Amino acid sequence: MKILSKLLVASALLFAGAFSLIAVQDSAYSAGNAIDPTYQKECGACHTPFPAQFLPKRSWERLLSGLDKHFGEDAALPPKSLASVKAYLESHAADTAMGSARAMRDVPTTATPLRITEMPFWTRIHARQIERHAFSASKITSAANCTACHRGAVNGIYEDD
Amino acid sequence: MIQRIFLTVLLAVLGSALAIAAGAQKPILDGYASQAKAEMSGFSGFSAERGKVFFLAKHDASAETPSCATCHTADPTKSGQTRAGKEISPMAVSKTPDRFTDSEKVEKWFQRNCQSVLGRACTAQEKGDFITFMASI
Repeated sequence: MKILSKLLVASALLFAGAFSLIAVQDSAYSAGNAIDPTYQKECGACHTPFPAQFLPKRSWERLLSGLDKHFGEDAALPPKSLASVKAYLESHAADTAMGSARAMRDVPTTATPLRITEMPFWTRIHARQIERHAFSASKITSAANCTACHRGAVNGIYEDD
Repeated sequence: MIQRIFLTVLLAVLGSALAIAAGAQKPILDGYASQAKAEMSGFSGFSAERGKVFFLAKHDASAETPSCATCHTADPTKSGQTRAGKEISPMAVSKTPDRFTDSEKVEKWFQRNCQSVLGRACTAQEKGDFITFMASI
């Protein structure tokens, strides 16, 4: 009986271990050095320079055409910087050759999400944190503050610490 | 006697440090001063006090950013925070000495933030007062 319960505990631990490994693998993401320096400097001045791969091309197009009214703020860019940022984001978007099918999963073809937090892949990965209202914690401020939890986010690295 | 010499030296060092600090912002301030003269007939120089009032004032153009202090905090010697949670280094020149030394950067941020907070462009006098306040603390 004792041996049986020990075996049960061990297998439960193994199962949990394997599950957490899968969970980490599922949420880990790294854009490596792909983040464009102009994008990192200009957009990263106010928020995490979110990887281009996290939104479809149509979303970046819509966002960049309305930078003067950007989530309640004027974030207009000088023409030269705007062209550079646009070229990077649109060529690396989720639905391009540089993107990933995983990020586009369950995005309706008719939808143009303007926030990464509206993307089904994001809500899936962060379901537990959403449930716990983790993003309204004072240290995090906003779900746009990726760096609060993903220390490498400024360089496009989202591997769980 | 030694104390007195020490105090004099200290004051001289502090004074020149302040002069250097103000000096780095001078080209941009001079530019705004000539613009201000062109914009208004009665312009008689910038005022740190007016800049402080402007910085702390609440406006009604935006619910998200009613004041400069919304993101920069009411104390410009402290770090601020954007609405997306990113830290903003202090606006006070004493804390961030290269503030207001790159005219392109200064114009880009005045253009954006004046639109966001005031719903209009800032006048040259407002910009000059703002920088004068930030250079004074």
